[in-house]
This record gives sequence, C-alpha cells and structure tokens, in this order.
Amino acid sequence: MKRSWSDVALSVWGVLVFLFLFAPIIVIIISAFNSGRLLVAWDGFGFDGFAALLEKPAIQSAVWVSIQTGFIAAIVATVLGTLAGIAMARHPGKWVFWFIGLLLLVSVTPEIVDAVALLPWLVFLGQDLGIGLFNDGIVRLVVGHSLFSTAVVSYIVRARLVGLDAQLEEASADLYAKPFATFRRVTLPLAMPAVLAGFLLSFTLSLDNTIIAAFVQVSGTTPWPVYVLSALRSGLRPEIASVSTIMLVLTLVALALVALVLRRAGDSATQIARTMTGN
Amino acid sequence: MPRFALAIPAWAWLAIFFVAPVAMVVWFSFGYKPGIFGTHANDVLSFDRYLEALSPTFFSTFLNTLWIGLAGTALCLLIGLPVAYWMAVKAPPSRRGLLIALVLVPFWTNFLVRTIGWQVILAPEGWLSTLLQDVGLIGGPLDILYTRSAVLIGVVYNYLPLMILPLFVAFDRVGTPVREASKDLGAGRWRTFLRVTLPLARPGVIAGVLLVFIPLMGDYITATVLGGAKGNMVGQLVASQFQAAQNWALGSAMAVMLILVIMVTVAVGALVVWLVMLPIRSRNRLVLGDAPAAATGGDRASEAARESEEVLS
Repeated sequence: MKRSWSDVALSVWGVLVFLFLFAPIIVIIISAFNSGRLLVAWDGFGFDGFAALLEKPAIQSAVWVSIQTGFIAAIVATVLGTLAGIAMARHPGKWVFWFIGLLLLVSVTPEIVDAVALLPWLVFLGQDLGIGLFNDGIVRLVVGHSLFSTAVVSYIVRARLVGLDAQLEEASADLYAKPFATFRRVTLPLAMPAVLAGFLLSFTLSLDNTIIAAFVQVSGTTPWPVYVLSALRSGLRPEIASVSTIMLVLTLVALALVALVLRRAGDSATQIARTMTGN
Repeated sequence: MPRFALAIPAWAWLAIFFVAPVAMVVWFSFGYKPGIFGTHANDVLSFDRYLEALSPTFFSTFLNTLWIGLAGTALCLLIGLPVAYWMAVKAPPSRRGLLIALVLVPFWTNFLVRTIGWQVILAPEGWLSTLLQDVGLIGGPLDILYTRSAVLIGVVYNYLPLMILPLFVAFDRVGTPVREASKDLGAGRWRTFLRVTLPLARPGVIAGVLLVFIPLMGDYITATVLGGAKGNMVGQLVASQFQAAQNWALGSAMAVMLILVIMVTVAVGALVVWLVMLPIRSRNRLVLGDAPAAATGGDRASEAARESEEVLS
C-alpha cells in the first residue's frame, strides 16, 4: 500500500519533535566531556568534569544529600500512599470523595506556593514550637519532597486495586485469616507492582525536586539540584553537566526497572505510560 | 475501625505539611510588612496586599505569565497532538513501547538541567547561533536568550511530554474498529479524524491542556534560567518577595492571586470551549440523526455511529 502524503508528513513531524525533545539532553551529555572551564564554551574533549565528582566535597555532599533524601522521601510517600490507596480501593465511601479532593489539591498547587508556604511553617514548627526535628536539613527536604509523591502513590495503588476484584481478600477472610494476615498476605502482594512503581517514581521525583528544596534546605544539606541552581548564578562549569549525566543514567535505570516491574505484572505500554505520569 | 482508618496517616501528613502551611500563607496575605526587619504582621487585616499585587508594577508580570501560559499550552497542543496521533495510530504497535520510553526520557531528566541545556543551545555564542549565521538566516549573533521567546521555547519543551502522554492514551483508546467503521461509512481520513477520532479523544485533550497549563503558570525555573528581566513570571515574583524583599505578606498575596488566576482562567476556558462547541454539537446531532438509517450495512458501523453520537451529544 502506498503511503499518503499526510502519513509521511506525520512521521516527519514525529521525528522532528523527538529531535526537539532530545536536543538539550544531547547538548548536556556532550558538555559533560568538555574539558574547558565554562559549560557554554567548548574547549576540548576530556574527563575533567567527571573528575570533579571525586575532587570536590561540595558536589559529593550534594549528590549524597539528594540520594539520602530521595530514599527516605520515597519510603515515606510509599508507606502513606500505599495505605491510603488500599483504603480508597477496598473501603470506599463518601470519605474517598473528600480525600481525592485533597490529593487533587496537592497535585495542582504550584510547587512555588508549596515552597513559600513550607518555609515559614517549618520555621514555626522548629523554632517557635521548639520541635528540633524540623531544624534538620534532611527532615525538611523529606517533608517537602513527600507531598506530591504521596498523592502520586495513592493514585497508582488505588488504580491497581480498583482494577482487581476483591474476591481474593474475601476468600482469605472466609478461610479465617485475620484482617492483618489478609492485608499482609493477599492485599499487599496484589498491590506490589504499583507499590514498587510508586516507590521508584517518588525517588526520581525527589531527585528532581528543585523549587521546594531551594526554599526549605538549610546550609550544609544542599541537595544536588539546588547546588546547580546556585552554580547558575556563580557560573556553570562542565562538571555540572558531567554529574547530571551520571544522575540521568541512574534515573533511567530506575525507570527501566519500573517499566520492567509493570510489564511483568502484565500492563500494556499504554497502562505503563499512564502509571508513569501519575494519571 | 472506620473505613478510612488506613488513610489516616496520609491524611494527617498532608494536613500538617500541606493544608496547614498553605492556610498560613492565606492568613499572611491579609496582613502587612511591619518595618524593615519584620516579614509579616497580622494585627490589622485588609485586602491591601492584593491591591498591591495588582498594582501596575506587578500586574504586568501577571499578564506576562498568563500570556506565556496560554501561548505555551496552545503550542504544546499544536505540536503534541500530531505526535501523539502518530505514536498511537500510525507507528507500528511493536515500537510504541519504545516511543513512550523516548518521550519519558526528557520528562525524567532533571528539569533544571534540561533547561540549562536550552541556555547552552540558545546562547549568542552557541552552535545554533553560529549555524544560523553561517546559513545566513540571521545577520548577527542569535539574540533570543533572556527574552520572552526563550521562556516560551523553554516551557513548551519542558511541558510537552505532559501533553503527549495523555493524548497518546486517549488516541490509543479510540481503537482501530471505530475508525474503520467510519471509513466504511464513506468518511475520508480527515473527516474520520475530525468527526470520530478527535471527539472520542476529547478527555485526553482536556487532561493534556490541564496538565500543561496548571504547572506552567506556576513555573519558576524556566523563567529564571532563560528569562532574564524581560521574561519574568509570577513564580519569581513570589520567590523574590519571600527571599530578597522579605515581605511575606505581599508574597503570600501574590501566591494566592496566582492560584486564583489559574482557577479563573481554567473556568473561563471551559466556558469558552463549551460556547464554541455549542453550534458544532447541534449540527452534529442533525447529521448523526440520519446515520442509523444509512448504516444498515453492519453492526460495527451502527455501533460506531451510536458511540460517536453518545460522545457528541
């Protein structure tokens, strides 16, 4: 069959848009091997940027803070979101309407508003109320990064369980399993692919979080994106691109794992796309 | 145990770290900044900070943000719709997973870092500038960085995946049978697209527009990296009131205004679309009224006609 001109035009457009989507990423990866002093000006090929990761304690600390925060924030969001998602799917009622309303509110509120709201609030909790916990840098970052992720995990887990019949849980109860045993041995394993996907998504969302982190961070625990943001003002060096390239590779590995987990659980490409974007 | 027992931890967490702080910001917005060293005071309550946020100095930034938000969302839709259609309908099914993965890569690259990538590309001394000069398209160095156009390119780039993915899901869900039925009934490819596929994919269009427009309006990073003084957005205004100016009352009022502007724009947009679609809907109703009589050919066809009728009415 001969392809019509509109099909050809569509394919060309598709390829052009994909090039557009990858242009800055390719530029960053190329710049990672720039041996010059400035990110913008190409000097020569070299691994100086990657060496900076080994030489500069500030970069090491920033990357480490990001990884720690991402890990803890992901655990918090996954626990809270999984429990909430299971409750919404298995114990529906009028409360679900209000709860989803709250989750929607959390997801549509601009990040900058969350950021400026959390800053005075954490100061209030930590200094006015004297709860020392909230003066800790990692705790503050975890709180900020877990809000949106909690909503995302709740959606994903709920969507997975709503699609599965509750018969298995009923059978488990009929067989005299206590509610907690049913929860641990039946409900949780059923929800597991969504829980894992939610965990890895929360981790990457936290690694990416710049705005809230910039506001709630305390000096000494600067996460990587905030380090980049401050480098933006003082001058960008190729090492920013090098470390970002490493972080990108790590993120992609995490996402490939998510896709693999979901595919194992029998999701189609479309379902994976929906899960990965949190809708 | 109440039915919502398992949701209590999430509920409490969000109440303490989302509802309470945002409520505090709303409360601050009715106060004022006392003297040079204070950040906020609430002993006299008024709407004055809102009036201040709308004064000419700041109002232009609100207008600018709205312009970038609307233009950026429209461009995302125009660019993303053909791509999503291509991915869901024209590309071979075996390659769809790969294409989705490719759209997700920029989506999951650090937001700030990919925006910096654009800063490198658009720089006056960058390779794009050199290339365009060599080809002779522009006389001098590329003069686009730190303008509103650069911010527009940046936001279109940053939010495009959020438009493509829901559109892809929607087009994918329409399915081949309905399109084939439409063609069996004598509609050409354009007619099929405009009268069957696109109306059925409407939920995806709505989701995409909202997913792009809402975060775009609150964007802070793109405008900071690419905007300079000319490409200011409200997000930066709010941030500067909290950081540099230390005027939490005014910053809070701006944050609340930003949310209100987003909500009002979405409501007005929905109303406009509804009004514009009114004549189209009534026309389609007439046309489709005849369809079952013409479609005696097969179940599939009448089903398709019924289905599109349901969606359109």
